[in-house]
This record gives sequence, structure tokens and C-alpha cells, in this order.
Amino acid sequence: MLSSVLLIITSIYVVTALMYIIRLVKGPTIPDRVLALDALSFDLAVFLALLSIILENPILVSGVIPLVLWIHAIDIFVSKYLEAREMGE
Amino acid sequence: MSELNLVFYGIGLGLIAIGSFFEVVGAIGVLKLPSFFLRLHALTVSCIGGSILPLLGVAILAIGLEEMGSQRLFITAICLISVFIILILAPSGSHSLARAAYNSNTAPKQPLEYDALSRGVNKD
Repeated sequence: MLSSVLLIITSIYVVTALMYIIRLVKGPTIPDRVLALDALSFDLAVFLALLSIILENPILVSGVIPLVLWIHAIDIFVSKYLEAREMGE
Repeated sequence: MSELNLVFYGIGLGLIAIGSFFEVVGAIGVLKLPSFFLRLHALTVSCIGGSILPLLGVAILAIGLEEMGSQRLFITAICLISVFIILILAPSGSHSLARAAYNSNTAPKQPLEYDALSRGVNKD
């Protein structure tokens, strides 16, 4: 029962990831694409956590923290580039 | 001990189900809303409601999984740490992105009703 409910919720997360990918490809401007990438990576973080519960493999969940830190770095770098037209060093 | 595990199952599955509802709402908003700043609002729904609640749910659910041994506490610890990281870093990233898109005129701000920043609040 637990596994079937978690499979349904994981499939919901896969469908929302596809919707974010549509916005990521179609987005008219650069901040739209970065926004869709942001939402997509938070979605993937929850997806990895659910997958480690379903497969009973706790090594899968250790990729969540670098994923979340990486999306914050993407946000800061892109906003820095958009505002000042340089990457900063 | 088994009843306590059932309580953990219930709370965890409830939080994950509520979070998946918020995630669907936020995804429809990101896909369908017309402007960048409105999509940013939808992103906030899908980030706070759709990522933090399910991670808390997974953390509570993993406590009740007795058959995984002591490795279930690993899942709980990493989910709690990532919840705190998302709660601190995601609003600051969204805010810096919105500020950059506003100041550099990259995104069109056309469905606009009131703009307080254009009245000299942020002239520097």
C-alpha cells in the first residue's frame, strides 16, 4: 500500500517535471528559463528523496544537498550577469 | 512500536500528498501565466509548498521504516538539512533573480497595475 501510493506521487512529480521542461525550452527570455530550471531542480530533489524511499536505497538521497546548493549558485551567477554584464571574480 | 510506525506513515504520506497538490498547482502556474513576475509568484508556491512539505514528509516517513535498519536516519538527516537549505537559499535566489530582471529590463513587465519602484524608491 505504501509503495503504490508513493509510486502514484512519484509519477505526479515526473509529469510536473515535464511541464517545467516545456517552459524551460519555450521560455521567451533568459530569466524565464532560469526560473523553470530552478523549479525543475527543486522538483528533482523531492523526486530523488521519494525514489530512495521506494527503492530502499539511502545512497540516492545524498545528491539532494549539492543539487539545492547548485541551483542557488545558478541564480546568483545569472542575476549577477544580467545586472552588471560580468561574471564577477 | 507498530502503532507509532503507523502514525509516522500517516503524517508522512499526508504531507507528501499535500505537497504534490501544491506542486501541480505551481507547475500549471509556471506553464500558463503570461509574464515573468507572475511566474515567479507561481514558483514560490511550488517551491515552499511543493518541495519543503514533501521533504519533511519523507523525513518523517523514513523514521517509521523499521526494515531499513539504522540507515533510515541517514535519509531523515539529509532531508531535514536540505529543508533548511531550501528555506534559507531559495527566497534569496528568487529575489536576486527578480531584482536583476527588473533592473536590466530583460523580462517584459507588461501586465502591470502599480509600480512602486519607478517612483524613485530605488534610485541609486
